Amino acid sequence: MNDDELITVLREQRGTITMDTPVEQIIGRGRAVRSRRRLPAAALATAVLATAVLTAAAVTAAVTALPASHPAGTHDAKLAAWTVVRQPGDGIVVTVSELRDPAGLQSTLRADGVPASVTFTGQGNPACQGYPGTGTQSQRRLLLGSVATVRQGSPNVMTIYPAALPSGAGLAIAAAMQNYSGPRDSIELTVSLVQASPRCTGS
Amino acid sequence: MGTQGLDFAEFYRKAKDECLLTVLVSVGDRDTAQDLVAEAFARAWASWRTVGRHPAPTAWVVRTALNLSISRWRRRRRELSVADPARIADQPAADPAAGGPVDPTVMTALLRLPERQRQVVALRLFLDLDTAGTAKVLGIAPGTVQAHLGRALAALRDDLVPIRKESRS
Repeated sequence: MNDDELITVLREQRGTITMDTPVEQIIGRGRAVRSRRRLPAAALATAVLATAVLTAAAVTAAVTALPASHPAGTHDAKLAAWTVVRQPGDGIVVTVSELRDPAGLQSTLRADGVPASVTFTGQGNPACQGYPGTGTQSQRRLLLGSVATVRQGSPNVMTIYPAALPSGAGLAIAAAMQNYSGPRDSIELTVSLVQASPRCTGS
Repeated sequence: MGTQGLDFAEFYRKAKDECLLTVLVSVGDRDTAQDLVAEAFARAWASWRTVGRHPAPTAWVVRTALNLSISRWRRRRRELSVADPARIADQPAADPAAGGPVDPTVMTALLRLPERQRQVVALRLFLDLDTAGTAKVLGIAPGTVQAHLGRALAALRDDLVPIRKESRS
């Protein structure tokens, strides 16, 4: 069998495969991609300034969780354990820099309309139950991707789109230190959809 | 849905299965491939003014999906799971005339190839890109594409021809 015959056989026997994701779902995910891209730096700066007052409580909570070695009065925002910044539009950017005060992050997110269970142990809250989504595994991943995405290249930063949360759903957010072979360890966030409940995401 | 949406929807309808097959051959796992292709199409929609005028938008989607696959691999610092060839081989054979699923014999042979060779086979033979187009998508030299294709065909011939002889006897 020469190359041409083999290529013919491969093309004939490749069969067909159907992608069953509806175009509406693709477009919904595309809207989330576009909203992330179109955020101009100036708007981001304005947003950071405008939300500074709103996030002051969160920063304060984080600063109180600093290691004891930090002297009082050096309240540098860069040292915050985590920050929550609401973007213009729908997105909420969560950055976890230290694994401290998960309860504070959880209540801050709840105040922003996101029922969430936050753990910094690498393990999820055992009281949480997965959100009973419909469709294939890929469709469920698409749904999760439209609600929350971890930033590429920055595994400790995620964006949440509260408007995309299905009714009765919440987010389980787990952060843990990953031991890479690179120059330093890094915090990695994982997120999944759960059923919102008092025991899981709080009241 | 505006004009942009209509154009994109038509493109999606025509290209989605072809893209899925190409990416599936590259990554070896149906769910992973479908997720990568969905994300790539979502990015195509988000940049449709540019992608819609691209000379080969299907190749753009496939390249984006493959780049995403690499990014995820780097992020997770572990190998992408590839379907077990033995498990695929146990599935009932497809009927090409009926437009059935991917032939398990062919898929098993493809999954035995190194990843780059699988990508070249998928782009050259299944997506019908020429050597230059395949080289551009993968970011390698045209000569490297031909070398990978030559090695892949040699390996596939060794894998597939004995099976075809057995099935005839």
